[in-house]
Amino acid sequence: MIETDFSTTDLLFMLKGAGMTLTLTFWAMLGGTLLGLILGVLRAVSPWWINAALGAVLDVFRSIPLLIQFILANSIKSIIGLQVSAFEVACVMLALYTSAYCTEIVRAGVLAVPATTRRAGRSLGLTYWQDMRHIVFPIALRVSLPSWTGLTLGVLKDTSLVLWIGIVELLRASQVIVTRIQEPLLVLAICGLIYFLISFPISRLGAYLETRWREYD
Amino acid sequence: MGYTFHWHQALEALPAMLAGALVTVETALLSMVIGVACGIGLALARNSDNRLARGFATTWVETARNTPALFQIYMTYFGLGSLGIFIDSYPALLIGISFNNAGYLAETFRGGLRAVPPTQMRAARSLGMSAPQAFRLVVLPQLLRTVFHPLTNQMVWAILMTSLGVVVGLNTDLTGVTQELNVRTFRTFEFFAMAAVIYYAITKIVTLSARLVAARLFRY
Amino acid sequence: MRLHALAAFAGAACLLLSPLVQADKLDDIIASGKLRCAVVLDFPPMGSRDEKNEPIGFDVDTCNDLAKALGVKAEIVETPFPDRIPALVSNRADVGVASTSDTLQRAKTIGFSIPYFAFKMVVLTKKGANIGSYASLKGRKTGSVTGTFEAIALEKDVKKWNDPKGSFRAYQTQADVFLALSQGQIEATVVTSTVAAATVKAGKYKDLMMGGDAPYDIDYVSLITLRQEFGFINYLNLFVNQQVRTGRAQELNAKWIGGLLPELTIKGVYY
Repeated sequence: MIETDFSTTDLLFMLKGAGMTLTLTFWAMLGGTLLGLILGVLRAVSPWWINAALGAVLDVFRSIPLLIQFILANSIKSIIGLQVSAFEVACVMLALYTSAYCTEIVRAGVLAVPATTRRAGRSLGLTYWQDMRHIVFPIALRVSLPSWTGLTLGVLKDTSLVLWIGIVELLRASQVIVTRIQEPLLVLAICGLIYFLISFPISRLGAYLETRWREYD
Repeated sequence: MGYTFHWHQALEALPAMLAGALVTVETALLSMVIGVACGIGLALARNSDNRLARGFATTWVETARNTPALFQIYMTYFGLGSLGIFIDSYPALLIGISFNNAGYLAETFRGGLRAVPPTQMRAARSLGMSAPQAFRLVVLPQLLRTVFHPLTNQMVWAILMTSLGVVVGLNTDLTGVTQELNVRTFRTFEFFAMAAVIYYAITKIVTLSARLVAARLFRY
Repeated sequence: MRLHALAAFAGAACLLLSPLVQADKLDDIIASGKLRCAVVLDFPPMGSRDEKNEPIGFDVDTCNDLAKALGVKAEIVETPFPDRIPALVSNRADVGVASTSDTLQRAKTIGFSIPYFAFKMVVLTKKGANIGSYASLKGRKTGSVTGTFEAIALEKDVKKWNDPKGSFRAYQTQADVFLALSQGQIEATVVTSTVAAATVKAGKYKDLMMGGDAPYDIDYVSLITLRQEFGFINYLNLFVNQQVRTGRAQELNAKWIGGLLPELTIKGVYY
């Protein structure tokens, strides 16, 4: 057998970190998708000046490295004296970052619905909101789901950056163990495997949904 | 609010930060060049009949897309070190980002190649062009049009990814320089706010230039 | 109408009186029942992790003692060296029990207690690098943890020597420095004698050995907290005094480092 100091306690420590990774991803996707839905629809139906203003604000989140966004959020939080934990800061910042991308995805989805289809619906007597609910939503969902799963995967990987503000997620947990037992290759290989095992099913699911729904075109 | 802002310190550090910004852009450009070259190679390997090439390419692409960029950089820096291959922070960052770029761009190029109908190639050949000629004059321009937008996105991501160098001790890129200043003076907000503004400016310049280039290249 | 006036008066009174009833950090800690200590956990024997990945060390025990004295629970917040002060300033930790050298540059941002420990600096190098003294660091690849007392001193000397073959690399954590040293990316570093002894003894990194003393001033380290928390700083001062007075500090020293507690006062100046 390979001589190693890596024990089951260490594996459990890493899995706890993986749990933190998943928790952060969950909250970020929840907040980000909700916000993205609202803002995306808003951007798709608003006049050009609201659209441009919203776009510019959200663009900021996509043009600054996420690491720096975390550092700034943490620092702003302490300057204004807010008593929230680093975990909450991470969730909020990740959710905002996710919503910036999600807005684009939702907007593209809504705009992908052919205007003729919507007009046909309206001419059949559907109200604006009925049109939104029964015509726009299903088609937009089909179009945006592959991109949305891609976004989920991206956020899952971006959670690794919260180690900089002191949260112990999977990569940080691996670092801790590497510091202790000095076997970087082994520990990091296991870390990579865990990441792979978490994200591969999600990406396969996305690809599956994409091909399944494309059949109906 | 018990914090007094010391902006003059941040402004004095501006030249050092701009020097760092230059390193950032250079690194991102270099990683894109390597990434595009490897990405095309990987795309062709994934479409090829050679099982070994296909397996190798698929492993690269799936690893690059299913693990964090930070992990890839960390693995390059520390993982290879334990095998006796000593890699300094800058090369580790470059290799890590290029590895990541290549993985994503392989998918982009694969999609792009699929988007150009094979009839185009056949028509060009039947007009008497050789295969490389046909590829260069007929397929490539159409391919470029499809992949241009994802390429710009990847370039922006590469610029943002260079900020991860600080985690493996790089202190010459924008984030590294900012962190050095931060560690000595603890004026976190002022320095990082300025770094954020510089990153925003860089990405805006890149996207706007890309749009201008696209407008000129894809006039028809 | 009368009720409105009464409410307005009460509100105004609260606003005017609020500065007088503002709690300071000492009150906040006791009220919250939790003391968050920033501790460095890749710096044995002051702070490290055991096989269960639990924090252990001189600093960890000191934090637990402080929490017990305050009557609250201790919470260890792991911070690498460069993150100790940012953790305090961004309110991730209430106090730093993290072997923080009391430099004047840092005193501009945070508040120091009286020293609770003192370090001597030594050169740590690898077998075969042929470095036997501090002077032989000239022209060699060196490195240390960014922003620390020994890193600033070492970098200054490397710049002074100005040898084309010499270099200085700054790393983000102590663990990274040891890893770089054992992998040969740097040939030597300067660390405290305690961590050098602990690291060489633990044998995790192959072939590390000490290479002579470093001619730096004795490195006094203190507990750190926010600069304006005078109440808490006074408490910390008394705490350090009591730790030494009751023999507890010597007990911890014998447990983690061995030998006598270093001299914590400077002759000729009252501090």
